[in-house]
Amino acid sequence: MTAATSDLAPRDLEARLAFAQGAATRLREAIGGVIVGQSAVVDQTLWGLLAGGHVLLEGAPGLGKTLLVRTIASCLDLQFSRIQFTPDLMPSDITGTNVLVMSATGGSTGQFQLHRGPIFGQVILADEINRATPKTQSALLEAMQEHAVTIAGVRHRLDEPFFVLATENPLEMEGTYPLPEAQLDRFLLKVLVPSPSEDELTGILARTTGHAGGEPPRVLSSAEVLELRALCREIAVAEPVLRYAARLVRATGPEGAGAPDLVRRAVRFGAGVRGGQSLVLAAKAVALLEARAHVAFADIQRVALAVLRHRIIRSFEGEADGITTDQVVEQVLAAVPTRPEPVQQALEAR
Amino acid sequence: MIPPMGEPAGAFHARFERWARRVRRRLALSYVLSGFTYGLVLGAAAAGLAWWLRAGALRPWAVGLGVLGAGAALAWAVRRRFSDQEVALYLDARTGGEEVVSTAVELLREAERNDPARQLVVTQAAEHLKQVEPARVRPRVLARRHALGPLALAGIVYLSLIALPRVPEAAPPPPGAELVQVDELKGLERIIQLTELDARDAEQRKRLDAIAKEAEKLREDLKQGLEKREALARIARLRDQIQAEKLSHGDAKNRAGLEAALSKLRENKLEAAAKALGDGDLTEFDREMQRLANQAEESARDAAKEALEQAAKAAKERGAKDLAESLEEQQKRFEERSEGAQALRELGRQLGERLGEQGQKDLREFGEQGSPEARQRLAEALGEALEGMTEEERRQLAENLGKQLEQGGGGAMSPEQLKDLAEALKDPAKRQQLQDALKELGQPQGSDDSRREQGLDDADRGGGEAQKGLGVPTPAPGQGDQPGQQGQQGPKGQKPGQSPSQGQSPGQQGGPGSDRDEGEGDHGATGKERISGDELRSKANAKWNKEGGLHGATLGRSSSSGGRETANQRGAGGLGRVAPQEIGGVERSEVPEEYREQVGRYFQP
Repeated sequence: MTAATSDLAPRDLEARLAFAQGAATRLREAIGGVIVGQSAVVDQTLWGLLAGGHVLLEGAPGLGKTLLVRTIASCLDLQFSRIQFTPDLMPSDITGTNVLVMSATGGSTGQFQLHRGPIFGQVILADEINRATPKTQSALLEAMQEHAVTIAGVRHRLDEPFFVLATENPLEMEGTYPLPEAQLDRFLLKVLVPSPSEDELTGILARTTGHAGGEPPRVLSSAEVLELRALCREIAVAEPVLRYAARLVRATGPEGAGAPDLVRRAVRFGAGVRGGQSLVLAAKAVALLEARAHVAFADIQRVALAVLRHRIIRSFEGEADGITTDQVVEQVLAAVPTRPEPVQQALEAR
Repeated sequence: MIPPMGEPAGAFHARFERWARRVRRRLALSYVLSGFTYGLVLGAAAAGLAWWLRAGALRPWAVGLGVLGAGAALAWAVRRRFSDQEVALYLDARTGGEEVVSTAVELLREAERNDPARQLVVTQAAEHLKQVEPARVRPRVLARRHALGPLALAGIVYLSLIALPRVPEAAPPPPGAELVQVDELKGLERIIQLTELDARDAEQRKRLDAIAKEAEKLREDLKQGLEKREALARIARLRDQIQAEKLSHGDAKNRAGLEAALSKLRENKLEAAAKALGDGDLTEFDREMQRLANQAEESARDAAKEALEQAAKAAKERGAKDLAESLEEQQKRFEERSEGAQALRELGRQLGERLGEQGQKDLREFGEQGSPEARQRLAEALGEALEGMTEEERRQLAENLGKQLEQGGGGAMSPEQLKDLAEALKDPAKRQQLQDALKELGQPQGSDDSRREQGLDDADRGGGEAQKGLGVPTPAPGQGDQPGQQGQQGPKGQKPGQSPSQGQSPGQQGGPGSDRDEGEGDHGATGKERISGDELRSKANAKWNKEGGLHGATLGRSSSSGGRETANQRGAGGLGRVAPQEIGGVERSEVPEEYREQVGRYFQP
């Protein structure tokens, strides 16, 4: 055993993993106190939180997207900001602006003071993000990618952890501006918020038509979130798993090796490098939530839909045929083998 | 190979190595079994094929294919040996390890990465491997496909033991077909010898070789067995090709040149030579040229030489290059032959009475006939006379020759020839040379064309012999072979009994005669007689060609092949009425194939 490895305390890592798993459980429970059902959406949102990415929630109105985000923000003891995107929203309404400081007498002091916009928070709810113009949407680009904003030539770093949760409504097309591909690519995950089942709906009705419930408990501090994010990065990934992720990403493009026929027919552009990175990071978050120090093929498969669905641009033929990006990702998952061919053959030999 | 490390790593390493050996060994065994199975299946197919082809001895060897397959599979297994990573992936997949073993293997191998998760992952992987049940995880050696192996082996054994299939009886030959199998058909070898015949040019060389090759192929086919009708047809084709070679001077390309050359020869009263050349009988033509060269009269020789020169020139002018070359060769030989004849005559005169009675007679005959045979007899007589002389007689003869040389008169011999002869008589060593020279002078001096034609004739006769060997009826010996024996009426009032090949040399084959024309009719054809009769209203007023009938080359037949021109084959037989386009008519006709042989026989002479 080398010195480097002997110094490592496996029990420490194990304890940290156990803590992460416990924290996630507590967080789920806290959210579950407010949100009925939607456990998959909650889990996927947690992947985004732990992996240090941003999440785009898409669902019909009234499914509790905004409430979910507000609840998560409450549980995390983080500074929460909400931006309601409207067509007349300006970039400066998000980032903030310098305003002239007035004296007590009402005259100008000749000095400017920064009025911080709602982006200067830690959990940002970008509600109905597709209602704003692309120009305004783009105001989020720098903040999401670099965790900083530039106002009047001055770069301001945002507080960590910085976590954007955006929502969009897929039903209303009038007066909406689809997110540009570059903007979409910044989101680690795109989570589809499904309609609640009968039991869930019954629970929602029961819970929301009586007395208003209390605020959810604060489960994680800002420092703990950062610790969990750091721990997520420490999860090990074997080379075959990385190679599998790479093969998946390449197979989403029509020119990629191993791309299934559906991809060649219905896809114009597949996922890129950022898509691969997101795949591995999200898989690490999955492993972390299960207190594992390594990533499995199954983790990659679990996150593939949420990570890749918004990074695939369909061709005209794909759109005309009504092929969804989810169908494309499922085809890719079915077509790309997890293990090298000889191993696969040995496993299948009967 | 994973480097050994501390305790958890060591434990993992030991367990993983044990598992890796087990997995690799069992996978290799499975490969070998698969290779053996596939080899045996192939072997069974091969054994079946051997059985079907009645190659009984090969059947048990089919098992070897199984061994071969096993060997190939072993080589493949060694080549495709699982790496540590592949073993780890296999174990993870089989044990539900969620890639903990794969990750541990990689983390241990890349120690420099100093991954914080390494110790934990390796520990977990070691624990995981410890709990694995070998029976559930190890690769299966036997697969369903391996069941084919014993079946295939049983099939090979069965196929090796059962009796071979019976040889099917040969299908009966079609009606009219007769199979002939001859190890050595006599006559074909004479056609094959065409490869040794001197060709006129490269083109002819190719054609002659092709004929010989075809004859050789026919001989081989006949050894294997061949339908008689086909064999006969092929021999007939060979003979046609040989005939075509013989008549090449009269073909379309050379026709105008030939006519011009013949005209010149006739103008110079060389009728016999013109007839032989016109008939394409180059042997006879050469013989006639020899006779003319042997003539005693210098003026006659000069006239003949002049005629030959004119004929060669005319042929050349009309584009008959081959014919012109032949005539030029004759011209050259004419000189040599002439000189040789003169020398013989002069020596005979010098020897005088020493020649003896027979020698004197031969000398006279040579002077009168000038034939090659007379020349040969004279040369022999001279040789014998010189041999029988005493030394004194030889000395006296040498002195006479010396005096003649001094007087400046050598008769027909040049001063050099006289001098050489005198010295030869004195010197015993040179006397032998003189004898040899006399022998050589006596030999028939045929031209290249003549020799070529003799070779072609020989090949043609070989073809005839081959046909006879296959049972084709041939003319009775002597029937129509002798001139005038049973000929047909010639177009120009030939007398009954003359064959159309009148004028051929003795021994040459003539036509068998026509069975339609008994030769007794009066076809006078003098051009003076008129047909009179009240019933006849013909207005025909054809003019006879007073110069004679068309020569053989024009008619498309050769006089020397003798009497077998029918609708089946080219020739110059007694039928004498077959136009060139009718040759091979039976083969081109709509006569059903099974009856062609009978019809062909009908048209045989």
